[in-house]
Amino acid sequence: MSMQKHLRIDPRTGLLLLVMSNIIAFTQNSFSVETGWILFLCLLAAFCGCGRAAARWLLAFCLLLGLQYYVFPVSAKIIATSFSIFANYTRRMFPCLIVGMLMVKKTPLRDLIVGLRKWHFPQKLIVAVSVTLRYFPAIREEAGYIRDAMKLRKIHGLQKVECLVIPLMISATGTAEELAAAAVTRGIENPAPKTSVVELRLTAADGACILAGVLFTAASCLIR
Amino acid sequence: MASNNLNRGLTGKDLITVGIFSALYFVINFIFMLLGGLHPLIWILMPGFIALFSGIPFMLMCAKVQKPWAVLLMGIITGLIYFVTGQFTVVILVTFVISCALAELARAVTKYGSFQGNTAAFVLFSLGMTGSPLPLWLMRDSFLSQISSQGIPADYLETLKAVSSPAMLIVLFAAPVVGAIFGAYITRGMFKKHFVKAGIV
Repeated sequence: MSMQKHLRIDPRTGLLLLVMSNIIAFTQNSFSVETGWILFLCLLAAFCGCGRAAARWLLAFCLLLGLQYYVFPVSAKIIATSFSIFANYTRRMFPCLIVGMLMVKKTPLRDLIVGLRKWHFPQKLIVAVSVTLRYFPAIREEAGYIRDAMKLRKIHGLQKVECLVIPLMISATGTAEELAAAAVTRGIENPAPKTSVVELRLTAADGACILAGVLFTAASCLIR
Repeated sequence: MASNNLNRGLTGKDLITVGIFSALYFVINFIFMLLGGLHPLIWILMPGFIALFSGIPFMLMCAKVQKPWAVLLMGIITGLIYFVTGQFTVVILVTFVISCALAELARAVTKYGSFQGNTAAFVLFSLGMTGSPLPLWLMRDSFLSQISSQGIPADYLETLKAVSSPAMLIVLFAAPVVGAIFGAYITRGMFKKHFVKAGIV
């Protein structure tokens, strides 16, 4: 708990911000609302201790805007056709990606689980989702090892796909068995209500974030 | 009570299995989602590509968890994670729910164990991804006018218009069906070649 100098955002606030980012991405027609929302999120990320990442997001956003408005209209047809929709969609995804990054970096999975439990998500869904989220880094790690092993044996072309996918699947099956054994012995199937050492409380900062989010969402829906 | 698969709910072990294979499915799905941004044609064929390559995690999950709700849970997890990336619009949500429900039905009818039944479920499940390019047809005019106001060149608009013809709509729905059937047979080949030998299925 040495992170007290940075702002801490409740996982539930993060989830609400995500929902609102999705609504804004879906309804947005106003450029100023979009930019304002991204600025707000970058500021929030900076306060939470992700200053450098926030700066990088802002830079990337400016770059995309520059590409879309200044480079594509004058560049070759093939380039413009290939990358216009890519740039457009990436830009739309930005708010969600920023919130997502913030949550991945600053919210421990344990807090997220407690938050979801407080919202009365079904326990089964929480278990499955948290396993999925936790398994992504494991896939990356596994894939790295498998790639190293492939280098030793000079495997090329389409065979590479098979040689990557099959060990990944087999190790996934093994992990599932082991993890399940560990989880069952720790009482995952115990029907009694779960307890946790993590206590979540909504603070004034959470309230301010949610309020700002609601205002931006309303603006995005109303301003055409 | 333990003799009947249909009456048992998902146990902790099943949930963990579904969670892990959902992660693998999502990774494959996401790679093609990113590629789909390169050209509208790839975007429209994307559900087909995903179906072709995601057969192994899906079928392995089906083999491991022969119970109701496993496929639906996988669909919900995929949807929830896509929610983070802002790709998950209302249309894709609807197609996902419909396709998962139909896939559950297909598995229930075929008693969860058979290859044909799981292939049918996989075809239906794969159709859920068609919701991603579907707004091109459903909201064609507003979509086109919206992006033309965002500095998109006229040539590109022409490409988009050509790609979003009614004939392409058939391609959009046929691609995942063909892809999923091929994917399922590739998976069966892999099962026979590797997984049975390793004692996994």
